[in-house]
Amino acid sequence: MRLARPAVMSGGGQRRAEERVGGMLALPAMLFFGVFWLLPFLSACYLSFTRYDLAGTPEWVGLENYRRMLEDPGFWNSAQVTALYTAASVLPAIVLALAIAVPLARPGRLNGVLRGLIMIPAVMPLVATSVVWRIIYADGGPANTVLGLAGLGPVSWLTDERVAMWALVVMVTWKHLGLFVIILTAGLQGLPRDVYEAASLDGAGPVRAFFSITLPLLRRTLLFVLVIAVVGSMQAFIPAFLLTGGGPAGATEVLPYYMWSTAFSFERMGYASAMAMVLLAGLIVLSLVQFRFLRGGADD
Amino acid sequence: MTRVVLPLVVAIMLLPIGVMVVVASAPAGSGLDGAGGLGGGSGFGLFANIAEMFASGDFPVYFRNSLILSSGIAVLDVIFAGAAGYALARLRFPGSRALFVLVVGTLALSPTVVMVPVYVIVHQLGWIDTFQGMIVPSMMSAFGVFLVRQFALGLPEELLLAARIDGAGEFRIFATIALPLLRPALLTLFLLQFLAQWDNLLWPLLVANDPALWPLPVGISQLQTQIGYDIRLMTTAALVTAVPPIVLMFLLQRYYVAGLTLGGVKK
Repeated sequence: MRLARPAVMSGGGQRRAEERVGGMLALPAMLFFGVFWLLPFLSACYLSFTRYDLAGTPEWVGLENYRRMLEDPGFWNSAQVTALYTAASVLPAIVLALAIAVPLARPGRLNGVLRGLIMIPAVMPLVATSVVWRIIYADGGPANTVLGLAGLGPVSWLTDERVAMWALVVMVTWKHLGLFVIILTAGLQGLPRDVYEAASLDGAGPVRAFFSITLPLLRRTLLFVLVIAVVGSMQAFIPAFLLTGGGPAGATEVLPYYMWSTAFSFERMGYASAMAMVLLAGLIVLSLVQFRFLRGGADD
Repeated sequence: MTRVVLPLVVAIMLLPIGVMVVVASAPAGSGLDGAGGLGGGSGFGLFANIAEMFASGDFPVYFRNSLILSSGIAVLDVIFAGAAGYALARLRFPGSRALFVLVVGTLALSPTVVMVPVYVIVHQLGWIDTFQGMIVPSMMSAFGVFLVRQFALGLPEELLLAARIDGAGEFRIFATIALPLLRPALLTLFLLQFLAQWDNLLWPLLVANDPALWPLPVGISQLQTQIGYDIRLMTTAALVTAVPPIVLMFLLQRYYVAGLTLGGVKK
């Protein structure tokens, strides 16, 4: 206990004060991330080598779960569905978002209002979104009405194996578009103006300026959007959960969904953990890209 | 040309919202059927539908639970992630390096990966069907610690140093000088966490079997699985669920964008 505090603390006193207060402020976080992230992560690694049904104790089975995965058609189907779902819900959305963001990034009151409105789908809860899109995709719903105007027959959007995945992709593209647009507009607004002025003095048209100035300068923001989109899509199964239930015939059963059913419908915690490890391996590759890129931001 | 095209694009994007409002405004007994067809009946029933829904018993419970979970978790995250983020940025203390590695590692992990063991932990703690089972595993986010740390790194050193010279203790410096300056970051964190939790379906669905504990996403998704559910009321529920996040987003748009673009835009 300190009796008198000097006007400016000595180096040692200052260090002790920082250690005490810093430790106190950080202690809850250390406990939390230790108990709810580090421990579960280590357990998932361990459980992936066991057979465990919640009721009993985990039983060591070595590589059995990983071996089973190789022969499990359900796993391979869900891995394929995930890859397709990720590619289809990320790439068109980013191209579309860029096409909207470039004009929308310009100043002006109308653009400001539009930037707010375009975010509405993104902040809407997924349950609300799925209620609406179930109506849109219903047999007599707006999607089929529009098709009918074009003289095309009604489609069973959510129950036809060939269509369900694309119906899902359209919904999530609609939902995420505003998010991507807003991140891209923020990036575009941060670009140096003088480069464009110099380019237009040199006689470069808007198309030329887009490809030779905007795209290269926006690379970091684009990469950021790409990474959050890919990592997000690889883990997303609530859209499928709410809209199609993974069906029809597994056509929309993405890997996290298959993992969820394995764990919580069939109580095969060990096998589900092994799948989690495989999913994590995929995510780590992408996260490494993300962190290299985020760290790059501190340097320049 | 873009003066016409952009508003048109946005209008098309908002069409599904229009569908939602139209269906939620259908008058009672207007013959909305399971196929989603609209017809019969006339008049504007939105307010009557909202009143009917809030009178139905279950919905107010879901709404209240959603408010408890979302604001509870957002406040806890602001307090604890805020404190840890500041400590990581401005104070030297034992274990700071380990905590930073833990936070960055957690950012790279996905909740999906640790879902099974976290469920086992909650199960063993006897927290199934409790609010703490839904709140505690989500009460801090690595994103939050990271966001506050990044922001705190930019605080002016002179202010903190001046307070130290005046003899203020480290905790007082944190509480009276740093916290007010950190407000934009903390507000951003509150908003993003509130929105995320308002939309959280998975974890409450796992932990809460008791309908009295269900938040809106669980309640609505469970209703949706029932055969022959009332589309009119369901859509009204969806609309009412969508309103709070949309209003928050418009009120705090600046903070929202700041949080989204953290790391994505060069300063």
